[in-house]
Amino acid sequence: MQPTSSAQSAPDPSAKLEHFPPEVRDAYARFRDTGDLAALQAVVLAAVRDHMPKPTDQPLSDELRLMEDLGYDSLAVAETVFFIEDLFQVRVETAEIMEVKTVGALKEFVAKKIAALKAAAPGAPDPAA
Amino acid sequence: MSTTPDRRVSATSAGPAAADPVAAAAAAAAGAGPAVASPVPAGPAAASAPAASAPAASAGPPRRRAVITGLGFITPIGNDRAAVAASLREGRHGFEPVEFLQNPAIPVRLAGTVKGFSVDSMSWRDWRWPAGYDLPRETLRGLAPHGVYAICAVRQALRDAGLAPAAIAGDDGTGLFCASAGSAMMLHGHLAQMHAVRGERGNPMGVVSSIAGTLNFNLAAHFHVTGAVCGFVSACASGSHALGYAADEIRLGRLRRVIVVAAEEMNAETLLPFAAMRALSPRRDPRLASRPFDAARDGFVGAGGAAALVLEDAALAAARGARPQAELAGWGQAADGHGIAMSHPEGRGLALAMRRALADAGAAPADIDYVNAHGTSTPVGDRAEALALRAVFAAGETPSARRPLISGTKALTGHPLSLAGAMEAAFCVLAMNEGFLPGNPHLVNPDPVCEGLDLPLAAVERRARLVLNNSSGFGGSNVCHVLRAL
Repeated sequence: MQPTSSAQSAPDPSAKLEHFPPEVRDAYARFRDTGDLAALQAVVLAAVRDHMPKPTDQPLSDELRLMEDLGYDSLAVAETVFFIEDLFQVRVETAEIMEVKTVGALKEFVAKKIAALKAAAPGAPDPAA
Repeated sequence: MSTTPDRRVSATSAGPAAADPVAAAAAAAAGAGPAVASPVPAGPAAASAPAASAPAASAGPPRRRAVITGLGFITPIGNDRAAVAASLREGRHGFEPVEFLQNPAIPVRLAGTVKGFSVDSMSWRDWRWPAGYDLPRETLRGLAPHGVYAICAVRQALRDAGLAPAAIAGDDGTGLFCASAGSAMMLHGHLAQMHAVRGERGNPMGVVSSIAGTLNFNLAAHFHVTGAVCGFVSACASGSHALGYAADEIRLGRLRRVIVVAAEEMNAETLLPFAAMRALSPRRDPRLASRPFDAARDGFVGAGGAAALVLEDAALAAARGARPQAELAGWGQAADGHGIAMSHPEGRGLALAMRRALADAGAAPADIDYVNAHGTSTPVGDRAEALALRAVFAAGETPSARRPLISGTKALTGHPLSLAGAMEAAFCVLAMNEGFLPGNPHLVNPDPVCEGLDLPLAAVERRARLVLNNSSGFGGSNVCHVLRAL
């Protein structure tokens, strides 16, 4: 995992949350300011819900499988990854995402990505800030 | 494969076709069409005889006929049958002032805008469309803006044909033929994003929402089309090609029904490149900017929208009790072999395409009641078409009393590029059923090159029996349809 080389030229990542509810935008800001993991996971959950091809209101519990249970197809998975890459300024390899099957696994994966990114650049500003 | 000749092609067709061996062969091939064995599973409809109104064949199996049973319109002059018919009849244009890229210096002041939609954004989340159309997220995520128009037009056409979407979903006899140049706006936006991150990532929907097949990809998935799906890219003849080949698939027995849809966006990315070619009228007055065949015409007015037509085997339409609105009785195409963008100066390819269409339909020039001209209002294109029309409907071949009325409905709509031919075929079918022929309301001083052509200013209350629809595209691609009233 590495930060994208063009992070400087990209627009403000939070702009990608414009159409999300205020509590999601607040969670993103909280994560950015404090590194609050619960806030990060709330944003990931909102992203999952936002990219479901057939939206439902069902609770998104960790064990739900993206494809079998939530109706995701490969394009929706790719869209979600694209969104997360832009929002958190991380780079996800295709092989990595192929291993993520459930909502819980995705939350964990994103958290690890960001932790690894901070570890790789200690002292650097938060990549999502 | 049997090739039993069908003797239905009338003697009159030998006139115009005789000078063109290819047109004569087209007439013969049209006759041979019905004898081709059908790979489509023969249901009750396929096995039945053609509708009672079919001209009698003297021998061989019945000729399959392609009829139009449904129309859908998202156009600058109306978003349903009634509105479009009223605009055509009353000569009401669909132009509005536009300013692209917040730059008043751009000399493009008018466009044939699509009303009731907001699809200017690259994000489908910002799009709005008229109430009554169901566009789920699953579909929206891969669409280009003109895909929204296209889905609405197809929904209308299906409803007009008395078909529920479920009736075509998974039906191996139903195909989808699309005409689209793709979305320049989406392509530009996605590639700009890609460049901004130096190619390291891109929107996964970038391809399917942008390239020239975007209508095919998205609408086939949305409507669950299983018979066949393909797209046509021949610039301003694209919609006409889609319709012509759809008719052939039905006449050859390969498909029993084809949904034809053509669509185009109206935005800076689609339209302004034509300004660079100096092809657009710079005028601000909507009554003067688009005036096909006028001596003072100075370019076309851009337009967007979508049109859809449901084509069916006449026997299938009859079996399910659908009312055929017209028969696509024949079509023809020919190339200019002349220029990248300019028409042949004498309209050679267009004249040949008209003759081939007439031969395919078994019709003579004198049989045609009305011609919907390509008529974009460009100096060169209209001149070429006028000369082609004069060549086909010349005094020697067509007594003056039997010359068709001719009009260019782009005077009202503007020129919607890939959409034009399909939209104008649908206009013809609509006008034939409503009992009028559209006029040329913006014509002030006809170009002298139009001498001998009958160009009425106002719509004429007359029920046409046989209509010709012309289209021409860049590269000298010319396509004509003959539509027969039923």
